[in-house]
Amino acid sequence: MIPAPTPVLDEEALQRLRDLDPSGQNHLLERVLRAFEGSVLRLLPQLREARRGGDMAAVRHVAHTIKSSSASIGALRLSRLCAEIEAAVRQEAFAGLPELLDAVDQEMGVVLQAVQPMRSQTP
Amino acid sequence: MSLRSETFADDLPERPRVLLVDDDEVNLLLTSVALQEQGFAVTEATGGGQAIRALADFLPDIVVLDAVMPELDGFETCRELRVLPGFESLPVLMLTGLDDDASITRAYEAGATDFFVKSTQWSLLAGRLRYLLRASRTRVELERSKSRLARAQDLARMGSFDWRKGQGGPVFSIEGLRVFGIGPDQRIDFRKLLRMVPDEERKAFVELTHNAMERSTVLATDIHARLVDGRQRIVHIEAEPEFNEHGNLVGYTGIVQDVTDRRLAEDRIRHLANFDTLTGLPNRRQLIWRAERALEHGRRLSHQVALLLIDLDRFKVINDTLGHGAGDELLVEVARRLRSCVRHSDQVLESSLETVGVRSHRTLEAVGRLGGDEFVALLPEVTDERDAERVAERILEAMRMPITIGMQECFVTASVGIAIFPRDGTSVADLLRNSDVAMYSVKSAGRNSSSVYRPSLAGQGREKLELESALHKAIERDELVLHYQPKVDVRGARMVGAEALMRWRRHGMLVAPGDFIPLAEETGLITPLSEWAIREAARQARLWKDNFGFDDSIAVNLPSRLFERTDLVEYIHHAVTTYGVPHHAIELEITETGLMKDLQNVIPSLHRLNEIGVEISIDDFGTGYSSLAYLTTLPISELKIDRSFIRDLGMTPQSSAVVTAIIALARSLGLRVIAEGVENLRQMEVLHRLGCGIMQGFLFSRAQPPEEIEEWLQQTVLPRKAPWIGKAGSADLPEPPRATRARVSRP
Repeated sequence: MIPAPTPVLDEEALQRLRDLDPSGQNHLLERVLRAFEGSVLRLLPQLREARRGGDMAAVRHVAHTIKSSSASIGALRLSRLCAEIEAAVRQEAFAGLPELLDAVDQEMGVVLQAVQPMRSQTP
Repeated sequence: MSLRSETFADDLPERPRVLLVDDDEVNLLLTSVALQEQGFAVTEATGGGQAIRALADFLPDIVVLDAVMPELDGFETCRELRVLPGFESLPVLMLTGLDDDASITRAYEAGATDFFVKSTQWSLLAGRLRYLLRASRTRVELERSKSRLARAQDLARMGSFDWRKGQGGPVFSIEGLRVFGIGPDQRIDFRKLLRMVPDEERKAFVELTHNAMERSTVLATDIHARLVDGRQRIVHIEAEPEFNEHGNLVGYTGIVQDVTDRRLAEDRIRHLANFDTLTGLPNRRQLIWRAERALEHGRRLSHQVALLLIDLDRFKVINDTLGHGAGDELLVEVARRLRSCVRHSDQVLESSLETVGVRSHRTLEAVGRLGGDEFVALLPEVTDERDAERVAERILEAMRMPITIGMQECFVTASVGIAIFPRDGTSVADLLRNSDVAMYSVKSAGRNSSSVYRPSLAGQGREKLELESALHKAIERDELVLHYQPKVDVRGARMVGAEALMRWRRHGMLVAPGDFIPLAEETGLITPLSEWAIREAARQARLWKDNFGFDDSIAVNLPSRLFERTDLVEYIHHAVTTYGVPHHAIELEITETGLMKDLQNVIPSLHRLNEIGVEISIDDFGTGYSSLAYLTTLPISELKIDRSFIRDLGMTPQSSAVVTAIIALARSLGLRVIAEGVENLRQMEVLHRLGCGIMQGFLFSRAQPPEEIEEWLQQTVLPRKAPWIGKAGSADLPEPPRATRARVSRP
């Protein structure tokens, strides 16, 4: 197994975040990543629960939320996967959904792992 | 709503307040930070419910809503927000996903102001927010200005309308509808509008409108309108044509305004300016205007015009005995009767008179009040003077019935003078004057009649009649004045009294007493004139007393017949007490001739006057035939040597002999002696040598207005500057007798 050649977090997106707090005084990057982590840790059980219960609306909502917040921190693969889930639910194309959900589950772990060292970086 | 509207429209608040609503913590945080970075004050909410609750006590300038949220989503939140009072037009921006067209439509349906596709380019969002805030500000300003205009129009009872050619009737604004008493949800078409206009005006209005449209000219007119609720209003309509690029008329835009109140006020002003408030008759101004128009017509159409001057007989008596209130009541009744004697027309005539037709001058006919108890009847067309005389007879007849004022029956008569245009005058002023002459001829012939002006009246003394009629009014018009000639003690170089001489200021000229006193005596007017002079002299004595301590006498000339009046003493008493001066402030001069002619009748008065302290001076002494026997017993104080002797003094030995004799006589009787008509130093020196120390004449001062006498005292007498001062100083001469009298020995 060769790891994906692209980095987990898009450098360009991270740079945009840094630009919002150029001096780093506000620790914006860390706060955003912590917020992301908190949000994902809250949403992940919700997603699993919804999947188990077949609650497609809840699935779609969680996917929608993670789609935009992951895009914000540059977790583009995760964001894209979420967008596909959202689209699939909207179009009621449930066939490929389990695979997509598995992929999201897995990618979330990857992203959290990538986030962890960065968010604890306290100066 | 308040968007801090006091700042300028393009000036946004320094830090616009944003309510940011997003359930995604990451997005919320990032957007919030980004917006703060861009100068916004951000309040965060993680859900719709929380946002609505926050709005209870927080008023943002703009709300940013994430469309997709659990529970209350963005659309629902927007909908709920919009129904909150004050949030109807708050800008709301909905954040949607990139590929979410349905959300955009739903956003607008929910009342969002705009949508924004979520992006990590946060500066774009800030730009959009600023744009929305600016647009919202402009909109608020517009709304406010619209409502201000509506309110202004409302206050002015004004509204607008718009008419497009070929698109039915005019379309009125809400305010315009209100002018016609119509609610905002109703419509008014041209026909309905016309039905409000009274029948007699409608045709003219339609024609006017038609003509304006045909010629594409401005339409401006006032119409009477009877509104649906029955109110009568006057509505001003003004409209301007509008043209397309080819110069063809496409319609009209204009305003309608309720001008009823203004018109009523204007009518009232016009009425006040043209009608007498007491009787409601045309006043002098209106009468003269009508008379001038009548003369113009008479000139053009070659017919005669008559002017009747009606003066009530002895109205003053009624006024004095029953009071002014009763006098006014009487005038009102007289006015009512006079109106019935002519085809009186009350309408205030405008310049439109010419257009009404050849007979239009008939509407000029009227009775008016010139003032006081004087009325005028204007007959704009008479065949001959008989026409006018018939109206005069009708007037006299109308007066015959007694007029009841309060419980009292009054009998009023009138004297009517008639003047006919063009025979008796070609201007209103001439006609008024000649009707006045004719009226006075009636008065002198016994009143209660009428007379047509005749040149022979002038032959009999038209001047005199005119003068008499003018003199009659001289007192009430305040045309009489007193001038004063000082009596001077030449040795002491001081003023010891003054003689009051009457002047009549007529047409800006001073009429000398010789030109009107004889007439006044002849007509009996001398009585009121003299009474006035006594009052005026007392008033002047008071003024001088206050100004420079004057405590001498002012001598007033009275004809002997005045002394026959039993109430003369009371009159003088009343005059001096009115002005708070002692009785001796008034001295009376009676000519020697007058005194001797009526001696028996005059003596009682002289005694009574003497008792109260009013001194008597015998004027023109030496020209009459005084009974020396009487002279010794009369209560008189002063002899005034006639000016004819003074004039000849030093020129004929006889004059000096007479003067010496008079001085000796006065001294032996214990009387003061005074010389009048002293014009030069030689006369003064001779008189002084002969023992007369008090003099009057041009050498010292001519008769002058009172202020100038004061000036003369200040600038000539007190500084001892006159040539006569110091010239009569020889110590061997006796003091003038006056100085020995008790009254003079004041400190």
